[in-house]
Amino acid sequence: MEEVLYVSGKALPHITPHLEVWGSVIALYLFFGGLAAGLLFFANFFYLKGKADSMPMSVKVAPIIAPIIIILGSMILVYDLHHWMYFWQLFLHVRMESPMSWGAWTLSAIMIPAILWSLSYLEDTIEYLQNRNPKCKLIGLFIWANNLIKKLPVLPWIMVLFNKNKKLIAYLTIYLSIVLGVYTGILLSAFNARPLWNSAILGPLFLTSGVSTAAALIMWLSNDHSERKMYSKIDLFLIAVELFFIIHLFMGMLSGGVAQVEAAQLFLGGPYTAMFWVLIVGMGLVVPAILEIMELSGFHIPIGIPAFLILMGGLLFRFIMVYAGQASGFNIL
Amino acid sequence: MERSKTYMNSYLAGILIGVFMIGAYYFSGEGLGASGALKAVVVTAVNDVNHEYAKEAHFFKARVQNEEESPIKSWLIFEILGVIAGAIISAAIAGRLKFEIGKGPNISSRTRLIFALIGGIFFGVGSQLGRGCTSGMVMSGMGVLSLSGFIGLIAIFGGGYIIAYFFRKLWL
Repeated sequence: MEEVLYVSGKALPHITPHLEVWGSVIALYLFFGGLAAGLLFFANFFYLKGKADSMPMSVKVAPIIAPIIIILGSMILVYDLHHWMYFWQLFLHVRMESPMSWGAWTLSAIMIPAILWSLSYLEDTIEYLQNRNPKCKLIGLFIWANNLIKKLPVLPWIMVLFNKNKKLIAYLTIYLSIVLGVYTGILLSAFNARPLWNSAILGPLFLTSGVSTAAALIMWLSNDHSERKMYSKIDLFLIAVELFFIIHLFMGMLSGGVAQVEAAQLFLGGPYTAMFWVLIVGMGLVVPAILEIMELSGFHIPIGIPAFLILMGGLLFRFIMVYAGQASGFNIL
Repeated sequence: MERSKTYMNSYLAGILIGVFMIGAYYFSGEGLGASGALKAVVVTAVNDVNHEYAKEAHFFKARVQNEEESPIKSWLIFEILGVIAGAIISAAIAGRLKFEIGKGPNISSRTRLIFALIGGIFFGVGSQLGRGCTSGMVMSGMGVLSLSGFIGLIAIFGGGYIIAYFFRKLWL
């Protein structure tokens, strides 16, 4: 009897039949990345429109959240690595063909304007908080940070340089924030072995979703009536775009090969159907859209409700995409 | 009584609930319920934390036997999500959508919340002993002429009337 030994990639644990490598940490990181990209986008965009004084929350106060959540996201990302002591090697390599490399570099690049931006408005932020919410416990921390910065040797000089070229930097940051937002989707869509992820629409979809969560957060934090109203309109528009992208994601997959159709079936009758359509599309997009339309037509809606729903919808969307994407595969082969 | 103008006529609302009940039985094969949704959440949480325990324990056993399907995937969960969304929208239409703690004039919010929690725990335990709450046992039960539904009605509302006397200070 002759023995035939097969060595197959199909025997790899955690890779077949389902990828089980990425968990909730990645989903959370993608959420933070998208949110930070959106916050920076709005801050720089409205700064360039000359609305720094009329929209203080979006230009001056909210961007301080961006570097904090980027740092938080990067920290949990490093924690997720198997050999986390080697994470710094990512910053010694440039790989044009790897979206992860692009992402690491974009993240590092955008950190500089993100931190300097919020530092340049630290005094305005303190003033804003003292006027609107004098009991806020963060004020003491910000005042301490502000005094510390003035004592540091090089930083005041950098700040002068930053403020002098603010306009140019704002243009650059807008560009970087869009790259960051798209990257959170491209990171997934570069996996050509996971048909659910491997769609070009994922980049713009994640960007739109991230910007929409940022709009919801600013809307929630802002005290200014006209600023809120504006973000309500922006959010409605973004929700419409998101729904358009979601429909086209499925249309594209259903007209693709068998693996793509199978991937789409995860959401169209498969195990993720109820969660996706009820929680993400229903509670995370349609209900807040209805509430915002009602608000714009004069009903009184506590802004926290649609904002919270949009943020939760965005977070869940990333969770479900990370998990469902790993469950999809070329199972037919 | 100015505010009552913004509430729906209670007789109309009752008829609508009945109509929804027929719809619920027709489409899902189950009635309406509220405590069942909470139970599904509890069962799912326990099952995720310790599946071995949930498989053995009497209270969880029946729900976690099918390992393919998560116990959270229950019609009542989706019903409750719809109730939340619908409540927000209808309160907004009536102009009453705001964050507040409904309480009597002579007690603090803190007292109200503590008593609400105690009452909630009692009702939660009671609803599991009685196999359903006001909506799950009384309404859905009476809808199919189940005897337990009628007994539950007398027990819940009769008990409520009697006990209310002792706690009237919370509301007066």
